[in-house]
Amino acid sequence: MKVLIKYILFLSIVFLMAGCRTQYNPNDTCRVENGRIIFQLNLHWNDSQKMEIAHRFDLDSALIARVYKELKNITFNSIEWKVEKINPDLVELSKPVDNNAIPYLNPNDIFMLDESWLKAEGEQERESASYGVNQFNSSHIVSFKDDIATFFLPGQQNVQKIYLAGTFNNWNTMQTAMQKTDSGWVVSVKLLPGKYLYKYIIDGKWSLDPNNILKQKDSQSNVNSVLFRYNYHFDIKGYQNARKAIVAGSFNNWNSNELKMVRTADGWTLPIYLREGTHAYKFIIDDQWMTDPANSVKRPDGKGNSNSFLGIGDSHLFQLKGFTSAKEVVLTGNFNAWNTGELFMEKTTDGWQLPYILAAGNYEYKFIVDGKWITDPDNPFTSGSGDLTNSVLIFKPSYTFTLNKYSNARKIIITGSFSNWNPDGYRMLKKDGTWTFPLYLKPGKYTYKFIVDDQWILDPNNKLWETNEYGTNNSVLWIAP
Amino acid sequence: MFKQPNLLFRLTAIIAAVLLCFSSFTRSNKASGISDDLKKTDRMSARKNLTNPAIDSITIPLKRAGRLFLIEAIIDDEAGNLIFDTGATGLVLNKSYFRNHTVVDQQSSNGITGSVEKVENINIEQIKVSDLLFKNISANLANLGHIENRRGIKVLGLFGFDLIRDYEIIINSKNNQLTLHCIDKKGNRTGLISKNFNASYSQKIETLNNIVFIKGNIGGKTLRFCFDTGAETNAVSNLANKHVLNTIAINRKTDLHGAGSAKSEVLFGVMNDFTLGNTRLNNMETIVTNLEHLNEAYGMHIDGMLGYNFVTKGILCINFKKKLLGVSFPKTSEL
Repeated sequence: MKVLIKYILFLSIVFLMAGCRTQYNPNDTCRVENGRIIFQLNLHWNDSQKMEIAHRFDLDSALIARVYKELKNITFNSIEWKVEKINPDLVELSKPVDNNAIPYLNPNDIFMLDESWLKAEGEQERESASYGVNQFNSSHIVSFKDDIATFFLPGQQNVQKIYLAGTFNNWNTMQTAMQKTDSGWVVSVKLLPGKYLYKYIIDGKWSLDPNNILKQKDSQSNVNSVLFRYNYHFDIKGYQNARKAIVAGSFNNWNSNELKMVRTADGWTLPIYLREGTHAYKFIIDDQWMTDPANSVKRPDGKGNSNSFLGIGDSHLFQLKGFTSAKEVVLTGNFNAWNTGELFMEKTTDGWQLPYILAAGNYEYKFIVDGKWITDPDNPFTSGSGDLTNSVLIFKPSYTFTLNKYSNARKIIITGSFSNWNPDGYRMLKKDGTWTFPLYLKPGKYTYKFIVDDQWILDPNNKLWETNEYGTNNSVLWIAP
Repeated sequence: MFKQPNLLFRLTAIIAAVLLCFSSFTRSNKASGISDDLKKTDRMSARKNLTNPAIDSITIPLKRAGRLFLIEAIIDDEAGNLIFDTGATGLVLNKSYFRNHTVVDQQSSNGITGSVEKVENINIEQIKVSDLLFKNISANLANLGHIENRRGIKVLGLFGFDLIRDYEIIINSKNNQLTLHCIDKKGNRTGLISKNFNASYSQKIETLNNIVFIKGNIGGKTLRFCFDTGAETNAVSNLANKHVLNTIAINRKTDLHGAGSAKSEVLFGVMNDFTLGNTRLNNMETIVTNLEHLNEAYGMHIDGMLGYNFVTKGILCINFKKKLLGVSFPKTSEL
């Protein structure tokens, strides 16, 4: 008999465990019934499952902990929660649906969804591409000369107007009008290397480029044509008798079938767009992997072979004058995640130096001279204060903040959405009575203020400003693409 | 369930109604209470706003910023995007770019938190949208910087039905275009070759202050929804009938915090039982929250809003003259 009881007990435990494993579905947790919001919680959930429910439904984790511990009605933050055990595994936590009005619901406004929900629905934008090759089904659809790209849309002789809109003109629908010719419509735009999305607007109707095979869907299922403006070409001389030549690299995850080179008079070539930074690559000639014979930069891959390396973008020469008796000087900064054992500087006759390839941006860095951290003595731009002061490198600045008043101020900080409103942010530099600070800012909107000797002020030379949700005013700056 | 307005509010409403009746009577001798007919006589023929009067319809490309639809416009000297927001009663312009225009009128409105907010009115010389040109237009000013900051787009303002209600309006979200057809007094298309809209479903709509109200069914109940392309999601009032709320699967909840200790609970889920006529619309995301302030602002009791998710369910045709909504649904499997 005892054996039978034990067996039944064992079976029910197994059953219960299986049950609780299958019953974790966050989407089935919450319902509204007769004016009450009800959460059905399984008593066998583990801590991470409880945490996910608390996060998803904005419930205090202390409340959830009390529900599991006390299993009786709870008053929490002056809300009376009813707790009801409905079977040995399940408890229901409920309260009346809250009737408070949304604080900012207004017909003359937009009803926006919480950003975290949009992210949960997978609606965030894709990252920019690290490489790309165009695919047109006809020649001369987009031709490039220097910085200028000329778009050609054949036919369409019976339409009134065609505009070109894309990421290069901020999808402006009325700016880039095409010119009609005998054989089709043409327009030229300035394009720097990169990836671009575009469409034609034919008498008001959005149309894909019919001669461009490359398309991309965005998060809302809209499809756009894709164009790359190249900034590099892989070349290899010889191998005229080879059947095929392929480039594979870190940028395309070493895909050995994708990037086919094209035969030239004396070898093979492949024009391509590559994102700024350092890339490893190899050629594959008739299935034979090889490094680039014309490139001397080769580094071991850690598996007994080596790869060719190339850098896209401009290099900045970090220099430290003096310290000639030091044993070693290391460069470290947010561009290499403050790694202290990577960028060893080279000794010169009068100091130390290291060239390093960077994308346009704002960087903070320091030198470590024989273990001692110092700021760059020749760089006047700094951020932070005291021991936490770093040197600031603005590589290819796109905007310079200027303040030509307050020439008697001791200290002026420029702060804004680009620096998370850090009040110890970028310290402006005074020259001939004018305060300036250059920054690299990506295209988009920025809000900012100056802090003049601890007093926050709007930019007196900028007529654009807005009132934020806390009732204070900020200057507004738009950087065009 | 719908909370009755208090006595003071009712009294104010009655006085306002009387004043409005009176003013419209003196202007048009065709007073008919608070209704859309008020403005009819003030309007000229729609065709005069076309830069090319020879055409009978125009197509305006819509741009997308996530779940919002944008229309490009040139307003006086400022060029940029307006959000196509059919929940806006008139043209609303962003104070950041239009604060230097002279304020011609200032009204007080009851703010949501009980405070009194001032709504400023300005006149703009002209607004150009595609091949449409409107001159001497009145607009409300509002702080819209938070939309720019959260969605990363420059927003000159909000553009509702106000300026285009004299056309038949076709919203095609799949092709991202807004087509306007010239119509006669009865609401029929004037173009010789323009076919009528091919609706797979149509219903009579209510309109008030340039807002369209649509009837839909949930859980066997008929509800009134405000049609709002400026809503990133549908919405259902948390005061709706319990049979309605019982059909909504709740996936998320959040507490929105306002000024001081003001807090509001917002539920997010899916309506499992939304029908328009005989057509059941699946995957209708919705939030459930208190919408009472909109009732007051629109002067109409609403049970919810039909927003982005609804707009993508088919091609919509709105005709203010016929007071008709037509929907062309794609194949059932694509709903």
